Amino acid sequence: MRRVTQDLLIGAVFSALSGWLLNTLLLGAGTPKATYAQPKAPETAWPALSEGAPKVASYTIDAKLDSEQHKVTCRETIQFVNRSSAAVGELWFHLYLNAFKNDKTLFLRSPFGAGRSGDKAKAYGYVDVKRLSIRGGDGQDLWATRDRHSPDDPDDETDLRVPLPNPLEPGNELTLELEFEDQLPELVERTGFVGSYHFVGQWFPKLARLEPNGTFAHFSFHAQSEFYADFGDYDVTLDVPSAFRVGATGSRTREERDKGRTRLGYRAENVHDFAWTAWDQFETRNERIAGVDVRVLYPPHQEQNAEAELESVRFALPHFNARYGAYPYPTLTLVHPPESASNSGGMEYPTLITTGGPWYSTYGGGHFIDVVTTHELGHQWFYGLLASNEHTEPYLDEGFNSYAEAEALEARFGASSVFGGFGSSVSSTALNRLFSAARGEDEKVNQGAAEFATFRSLGALVYSRTATVLATLARVYGSERFNHALGVYARKFRFQHPTTSDFMSVMQSELDSRAVTALTLALSERATIDYLVREISNAPISAAAGVFDGPNGREQRKPEAPHEAAQYSSRVVVYRHGTLQLPVEIELGFEDGTKQRRHWDGSGFTFNADNLGPSRLVSVNVDPEQRILLDTDRSNNWLSIQGNSAPHVRERALYAAQLLLGAFGP
Amino acid sequence: MSRASETRLTRLSTTAAAGTLLWISRTSFGLLASYPLLLAIRASAMTAGPDGDTVLFQPGSLLLLELLRLGGAWLSSAAELSLLLLGGFAIFELIPLAIALDFLVAPERRWRERVARAMRYFPKFLGLGLIALLAQAALLLAASLLSAAAKPMFASSDERVRSLAPLALLGLGLVACGAFGGVLDIARATLIRRDVEAGGARAALAQAVDCFRQQPLRVLLGPYPSVAGSAFAVLGATWVLLRFAPSQSSNAALVLSFGAHQLAMLFAIAWRVRWLRGALELSAESD
Repeated sequence: MRRVTQDLLIGAVFSALSGWLLNTLLLGAGTPKATYAQPKAPETAWPALSEGAPKVASYTIDAKLDSEQHKVTCRETIQFVNRSSAAVGELWFHLYLNAFKNDKTLFLRSPFGAGRSGDKAKAYGYVDVKRLSIRGGDGQDLWATRDRHSPDDPDDETDLRVPLPNPLEPGNELTLELEFEDQLPELVERTGFVGSYHFVGQWFPKLARLEPNGTFAHFSFHAQSEFYADFGDYDVTLDVPSAFRVGATGSRTREERDKGRTRLGYRAENVHDFAWTAWDQFETRNERIAGVDVRVLYPPHQEQNAEAELESVRFALPHFNARYGAYPYPTLTLVHPPESASNSGGMEYPTLITTGGPWYSTYGGGHFIDVVTTHELGHQWFYGLLASNEHTEPYLDEGFNSYAEAEALEARFGASSVFGGFGSSVSSTALNRLFSAARGEDEKVNQGAAEFATFRSLGALVYSRTATVLATLARVYGSERFNHALGVYARKFRFQHPTTSDFMSVMQSELDSRAVTALTLALSERATIDYLVREISNAPISAAAGVFDGPNGREQRKPEAPHEAAQYSSRVVVYRHGTLQLPVEIELGFEDGTKQRRHWDGSGFTFNADNLGPSRLVSVNVDPEQRILLDTDRSNNWLSIQGNSAPHVRERALYAAQLLLGAFGP
Repeated sequence: MSRASETRLTRLSTTAAAGTLLWISRTSFGLLASYPLLLAIRASAMTAGPDGDTVLFQPGSLLLLELLRLGGAWLSSAAELSLLLLGGFAIFELIPLAIALDFLVAPERRWRERVARAMRYFPKFLGLGLIALLAQAALLLAASLLSAAAKPMFASSDERVRSLAPLALLGLGLVACGAFGGVLDIARATLIRRDVEAGGARAALAQAVDCFRQQPLRVLLGPYPSVAGSAFAVLGATWVLLRFAPSQSSNAALVLSFGAHQLAMLFAIAWRVRWLRGALELSAESD
């Protein structure tokens, strides 16, 4: 018995110590600093911040949720102002929810294996518009005159045209009144129900964005696409069972309880969408951060995830404020869906974002919660305030936001922004570069979401490659200068719908034409760059030998034997493959331990790095600071004639093999 | 020197000898098994620059990921070959294990005789190992089937229970595997201690099972310090390196890393030898 007790005690002590070490190794490496250094405001003045957008489409919606049937019965009023330069004779409505009506819609017939979630609908969803009329008109039901399907697609009803009885002249406005009912699908992608959990996004008949020339930017809902809409004000009343907790876009303005139901009023100004969620099991946390009332809704027993999300906002909100201009809304709502409804996670809506992750997300060295929260928060700028067309130019929001996310995470966690533990780390920049390099030449980045061959291709190019292109420019021009340029873009086009040319004009004025050329080539023409070296040559210098005819007649000079003390003429040729031109540093290493730097502006296809000196050239390293993240192959960036024994790899490989033998051997 | 202290000294020296032997064999086999992977990494040119292979361990892992991207196919082939070799060497490690057990049983025996005995017992050790492997595989399969079958039971529970319950069942399976490993060690110890020949493996296993029936707690908890000590050694070495190692690229870092890792290995082996001595004692008590 004494032996048993002894073994138990020793084992318990070792186990306790191992637990402590495990905790230290996994959590210690990624523990954020208590106070964060935020970016300093640059000397130059920022463009003045716009306080709001010219309202084009404002919505008032009264919605009642049937939580048993998963139906939402609504009355909707749209106040529409023609701010274009042409008369408008028709309206285009997006009925995104019809994407889940049957398996033949454009969305559901898409190759889902390569879609965002990879899931198909289990219970279908749709929106039934009962009536559409113009307030103050003749009472005609305009919905009866609509086109029955999306243009050129008889199986899809997500993009419908409604002719107006009379054209609406520029500057005039009209008020539309609708009645409709949503049947929510079982959660497919971001919208629907799972049990009593409801996430209601893209749920109401919504006008397509009216472009300045009087045409509507309308499109059918494609599985790879996101959205595009005009700014306006939203007044929404949600009628839900009283047991449910609700999170929604905007600020809560009123709450009335009656007969087991609660009516909640929400108002959001200068936004272009409205989403909400209702669940009878939500827990909540509230905190005021950087002057914003932040609310987290999360599943039971996930306090740690909620705290991690708040901690991310505590860092990222002031960070993004400094980088891209102050967040202009009084509230921010974070929704952490339950694991069974993870398809509604990782999405952005104005003043409301969804995060996600299982209950153990904060254990270990991964920063999943921080990554997703920071990314979705960044969308409040690159999507929310800079409301680019996500259908035709998705990289302007997802790509720029991926860069913003990586920049913020690395400011917070350093190199371990994605993972940090056991002495190893993975950064967002490294991960973006990995995906970017793997698929960089598959397709061009700057194309419509529906044009990408697969969602994986879109993911690698729109998210990762764009972020890598921007990170390369930040490293080449200096991060402060580049981030300032991006900050100018974000401020100048706040509450607008910027396009690629708007972005390029800012890069032209804040950086230079070379940056614009590089961006255009990299984003629109699949341009690549690969610096490489092939060999190092050293020739001992001796007096020239041979037959020389001089003023004193013919002279014959014999070759001198080279000796140790002679000078060496060294050369390495650096090649540039691909059509991108970016300046690069070249580091030369000599036998006596000295190093030299050469600068190549990237023009031409080759660069001769020559040296005349007492020591032989033994190594070359092109781009030693790894500024050119777009370099397609980093393994050919260097050479050394001093051997390649890889002792650190050998040591770790031996240790790993010993551990495996110990674990699985006899 | 008193008889007691002489005995202690003998125990210490035999433990050290057995441990050193196991360390040498594990290191030799480890070097050989990891060689294909090392060659593949060196052939990638990622380590051919002026900073050698230290670039692979830079913070952020940009170049480590580049190595995986560029060399994924042949790196995975090399890793497969290394794992195959490890599997083979795990079998051959039975010979040094038999020698180590013999050391603990009869410290005075001559080396040549010891090796000959180990070679003679190799097929029996192999047979016992296969039986244990099959039994452990069956236990793990049962645990995973059970956890799959129990899944609907936890469907309405909260997320923590849903994800932890299958893990708990799998953990129980692993504990059972550990117990079977303990029984296997006692069988091996019996084989060496009693010098049984024909039909010895079956008799040794029967005696080990009998021993488990008589003293289940001792058999279950006997290897516990060895397993927990190994985990502590591995995590401790990592902690020491993170806290005290100079920059990754220096030679001092390499020396410190090798020293810390091998000390951890020796520590783990020392606790394993302690358990093997315990297995011999348990076997002797069940005669």
